[in-house]
Amino acid sequence: MTALTHPSESPAATQPAPIEVVNAMVAYEGRPVLRSVTFTAPRGKLVGIIGPNGAGKSTLLKAILGLIRLDGGSVSVFGQPLEKVRNRIAYVPQTEAVDWDFPVTAMDVVLMGSYAGLGLFGRPGAKQRAQAAEALEEVGMTKYAKRHIRRLSGGQQQRVFLARALCQQADILLLDEPFAGVDAATEKAIFGLMDRLTAEGKTLLVVNHDLSVLDRFDLIMLLNQQIMAFGPTEEVATDDNLRLTYGGRLSLLDRADDTLKYAGPEMRDD
Amino acid sequence: MIEVLAQVEMDFTQWLAPFSERWWQETTCSALVGVACGVLGCFVVLRRMALIGDALAHAVLPGVVIAFMLTHSSGVVGLLLGALLAGLTTAVLVNLVSRFSRTKEDSSIGIVFTALFALGIVLISALPRGVHFDLKCFLFGDPLAVGTADLWMMAIIAPLVILVVILLYHPMKISSFDPVVAAAMGLPVLLLHYLLMGMLSATVVAGLKTTGVILVVAMVITPASAAYQLTNRFWVMLVLAGLFGALSAAIGMSVAFVTNAPTGPAMVLVAAGLFTLAVIFSPSHGLVFDRIRRWKLNLHIQSEDVLKAVYRLTESDTPRTVQSVAEDASMGVARVRSMLDRLRTRGMVLADPNRVELTPRGEARAVQMIRSHRLWESYLVERAQQDVASVHDVAERLEHAHGLADEVAAHLGHPEFDPQGKPIPPLRDGKPATEPGG
Repeated sequence: MTALTHPSESPAATQPAPIEVVNAMVAYEGRPVLRSVTFTAPRGKLVGIIGPNGAGKSTLLKAILGLIRLDGGSVSVFGQPLEKVRNRIAYVPQTEAVDWDFPVTAMDVVLMGSYAGLGLFGRPGAKQRAQAAEALEEVGMTKYAKRHIRRLSGGQQQRVFLARALCQQADILLLDEPFAGVDAATEKAIFGLMDRLTAEGKTLLVVNHDLSVLDRFDLIMLLNQQIMAFGPTEEVATDDNLRLTYGGRLSLLDRADDTLKYAGPEMRDD
Repeated sequence: MIEVLAQVEMDFTQWLAPFSERWWQETTCSALVGVACGVLGCFVVLRRMALIGDALAHAVLPGVVIAFMLTHSSGVVGLLLGALLAGLTTAVLVNLVSRFSRTKEDSSIGIVFTALFALGIVLISALPRGVHFDLKCFLFGDPLAVGTADLWMMAIIAPLVILVVILLYHPMKISSFDPVVAAAMGLPVLLLHYLLMGMLSATVVAGLKTTGVILVVAMVITPASAAYQLTNRFWVMLVLAGLFGALSAAIGMSVAFVTNAPTGPAMVLVAAGLFTLAVIFSPSHGLVFDRIRRWKLNLHIQSEDVLKAVYRLTESDTPRTVQSVAEDASMGVARVRSMLDRLRTRGMVLADPNRVELTPRGEARAVQMIRSHRLWESYLVERAQQDVASVHDVAERLEHAHGLADEVAAHLGHPEFDPQGKPIPPLRDGKPATEPGG
């Protein structure tokens, strides 16, 4: 029930944690989506964020990125406010949020990763192009560099967006459902790549709803509006915890929120 | 009919008109508007905001009327400022309405611009007596109203728009393509949006004089949509759209001068014509190239089928004539004859027109086809779980993708026999093994 904070075990424990979220709260139209979320993501770990639909998984990523205003609590990245370290975080959105008809090739998309470090008037040059080519190579998509993104398969599209995040050369990667619409071979390839990244000391937060790959993560966060459990996979992925996470909302809390918003029956004096 | 033709035939003073000073002035001005509209239109089209172009044009009315009230003239600078103000008000209001109410963005646009346009009409009626504001000119455009001041205004705005788009090309591209990730990177997405809206209002108000409110949206979305048909690269689209915009304006203007047609509609019709041509001739999804591609593919498939038929007949020692090949390949005699000619020019069939005999090269290709066919059959049975009896027809088509055969073989672990037990010819030196002449 309580939000466990995984004790940092890396030798770099003296450095500020890549991501530290304290008591974060987010609400849409007065209805809470995230309630007092507190956790620390340690350096060089692959963290899976697991939970049912509407559990606030994507919202949590967006809150960390500052795309959604927090209604309480705080997020710090490497011990600093987000604005100062923005280009150390890369984000891979859900593929369904992407406009596949936009006139760009795979290479164009990957090169966009370099914009983060270039500022408003910067232009990608030879160095950025080399980075982008390397990122494409790393996801095995060099062959498709010049192909329009509409003409890629689901797995290839996913890999191109991953390559864009790689091209950004960030220390933290936030990925929203990178395994959606991806075949088994691509899934394996993406996990392999993620392992390489964490070995380089990068921190990855991966939103996922597929329970069959839990053991591939170093740490798991079970989320359903609040953190139900957080820690090493083998400790956290128990039947009890999963049932707790997937077994419906804490309906009394929801009802309390409704009551407080609309002055429902529970507040009447009669 | 003759009467109509007589009307179309113009007197020669009209023919000279295209090179008069007035023609140059208006054409240059319209072409500049066309370039700016075309370039900005790309962003409008790709962000699915076609309605916003319409909205900005309409919403400019109250701004123009207020500017008119304050400066007591229809001076260019006053109009421009009024338009900019109105344009940005529209953009901000649309944003606020869709964010703070239960209204989708397209409905918000509709609510905001009609309200502002209505406000403009009410303001016109409140103008003091004796002041004339030509609403009809505003709605339908009036090229005679284009003056030197307008030309100067566009001579500043159009290069400015292009400069801004060049300088901010990359941030504007990513905030149009993937605004969420752009925001996550810390780019000022909203500011860029307002900048775009500001540039669009300034351009649209300049275009209003020639095309009028109702048609100006065509100059924004039609050239950009035409460009979109022709390319998969964003910068190419911007260049093409600018070019199409300028062309529509210049050609439309010239045609209007010559035929005495209204200029605005002439420009819009030319733009629509360019769009139609782009749809027909688009290299990736155009009707013409699609036809050509399919025709070429058919030719390729049929010639390979003839090749295989000749090979089969050779194997079974059947006399090979055009007729027997046609029968084996179940194709028409004339068709087979033309395919044989095609194969002769490619050195796959002996050049002697009286004999139907494969060259070693033709034979190698035939074996390659058989190898491809049998590999595809194996693949369909093993990997696609299809019935052995039903795979032949599918493989008959797939075999023409023989470039993929090696990958299929690797996938299946280089099988030696197909599902029916027929041998799959192996590779030798990267080519299917064949005994020359055998």
